[in-house]
Amino acid sequence: MALNDRVLGVFALVLAAFLTAFGYGLEAPFAYEPVGPRAFPLLLAFIIALCGLRLVVKGGNPVEPNPAGANTRILIMIGLLAVYALMFQWLGFVIATAAMTTLVGRLFGGAWVRCVIGGVVMSVFFFLLFDKVLDVVLPTGILGDLL
Amino acid sequence: MNGVLDHLALGFGVAADPMNLLVAALGSFFGTIVGVLPGLGPINGVAMLIPIAFAMNLPPETALILLAAVYVGAEYGGRITSILINVPGEAAAVMTTLDGYPLARKGLASVALSLSAWASFIGSCIAILGIVLFAPLLAGWALAFGPAEYFVLMVFAFCALTSLLGDQPVKGVLAAMIGLAISTVGVDANSGVYRYTFDLPHLADGIDFVVVVIGLFAVAEMLQMLEKLLSGISVEVPKSERKLFNLKEMAFTWWTTVRGGLMGFFVGVLPGAGASVASAMAYANEKRLIEGKDPNACFGKGDMRGLTAPEAANNSAATGSFIPMLTLGVPGSGTTAVMMGALTLYNITPGPVLFETQPALVWGLIASLFVANIMLFVMNVPMVRVFAAMLAIPPWLLVPGVLSISFIGVYAINATTFDLTLVVVIGVIGYFLRRMGLPLAPLVLGTVLGNMMEQNLRRALSITNGELSILWASPVSMGLWAAAISVVVIPMAYRRYRRNRAAA
Repeated sequence: MALNDRVLGVFALVLAAFLTAFGYGLEAPFAYEPVGPRAFPLLLAFIIALCGLRLVVKGGNPVEPNPAGANTRILIMIGLLAVYALMFQWLGFVIATAAMTTLVGRLFGGAWVRCVIGGVVMSVFFFLLFDKVLDVVLPTGILGDLL
Repeated sequence: MNGVLDHLALGFGVAADPMNLLVAALGSFFGTIVGVLPGLGPINGVAMLIPIAFAMNLPPETALILLAAVYVGAEYGGRITSILINVPGEAAAVMTTLDGYPLARKGLASVALSLSAWASFIGSCIAILGIVLFAPLLAGWALAFGPAEYFVLMVFAFCALTSLLGDQPVKGVLAAMIGLAISTVGVDANSGVYRYTFDLPHLADGIDFVVVVIGLFAVAEMLQMLEKLLSGISVEVPKSERKLFNLKEMAFTWWTTVRGGLMGFFVGVLPGAGASVASAMAYANEKRLIEGKDPNACFGKGDMRGLTAPEAANNSAATGSFIPMLTLGVPGSGTTAVMMGALTLYNITPGPVLFETQPALVWGLIASLFVANIMLFVMNVPMVRVFAAMLAIPPWLLVPGVLSISFIGVYAINATTFDLTLVVVIGVIGYFLRRMGLPLAPLVLGTVLGNMMEQNLRRALSITNGELSILWASPVSMGLWAAAISVVVIPMAYRRYRRNRAAA
């Protein structure tokens, strides 16, 4: 599907509908001020809808499509990041980061060996730098007491 | 006048604290690197460091000094690649390529680098002087603002930011509204009603602004880098040349530099118009001014004045954009919006009272800006080669590095997987919005200002029991409405006029 202003407009209309649907019922049990909790979100939804309408009606500005293969790489990276986010705590920073660095590095055209070395070195270095030196606590995960 | 000196003494006392000096040096260094690397600008650097500074329990003034040093450092760094390889390292350095690169081709690369560092330094000094003189006045004046005036002021900030962003203001408005909508998530402070939380306990406190900023400026940015595979670039800084500019060159560019600095300052103070606008305006202005008088002017082919004007302007604008944030609590640029978000992490709300309640913070920051500029000037002349070498970092190391630092920061705030997942979701949405040409700076501004804007609107309307007329009752708010309307209408009319003239 080609991306253009019309798609953005539809997105805006959907967002406005969403804000309205879940914002309309917001009411304070005891109202002691003239403007309740729902006025501001509904005002925003109204303006977002206006912007969306204008973009849908006017259309145009097609986005230049990505070069071949780029979309696949982007999808893979989104997947990798989602897994990284979910595994960050459980696997622990060092292992999760080493794996993420290696695989994302591969996406950017690094050679296997270099990416693995880079990943391990970087994850250990960041762990030592942040957790030990700068006192930013990071999860140790399955390495547990080893670190 | 005595007051000013007392304040400066206080400020330099804070800035001279060894920890703060160290942080300013580190921030300047890191900021220059961020500025050098194409694809990373001040906003990315600041966004990456905020959560880390917070997690390290740095006191607020130290954290702010760190972020400010990164911001001005990035403005220094952007010029290095502009001059050496004709690639602006960040958005505001685009104009620097016009004369900087031709100068390098003429064999004056090192002179161009040191002269532009000097121009940056002068530009920043002009802006710092401007802050010292005008900020307390503006803050004193803004103390009289009521909730209605504040609401209109924020409307004005949004109008200024979106209308200057280019040909499609509607996208700017949409971006700002999405940002404001993000800020409504969480418990409503006035009524205790849960808004858009969908029974997720992690959303009850709202979406942390760090999560939004990292999603938009780290994850989305890295996704975009996958579109075109680039490899690391190795850049040679020529060795055999004269390193430093001479006095003749300094005198030759002096007035262009000063004019660029002054112009940058006034553009920077306006909410919305940041360093990129300032450097473009300064360049165009000097070109028009000098080409008429001087037959030897060679703008675009390596005129030193075409190098110093935009460099002085972009640094001056970056520094000047602290004024609206510090005095009004309404940031003047995307990067200061992010910084203001950082202050809210410390439960400090920037605004006119800040000068009275947190003088050490404000004056420490101002003095540190000066200190950081000296450090930057000093480190930028001999260390250019070190910074240029950073370009050789291949993307397969750089991208994961940026991502893991960002994740460390987000995790540091609440230590939850939920925030990390939310970062990825926001990053993906941000990537699509960016592909469709939506500017992200208004979105950040919306997220940061959302609560304040809504609270002020509701407070104002409580005073009159719902009567809307309070929003334009006072002369100040009427003036602000007029400013807001003119900042939207004038560029639009100007664009139409230019289009018609081009068509005719």
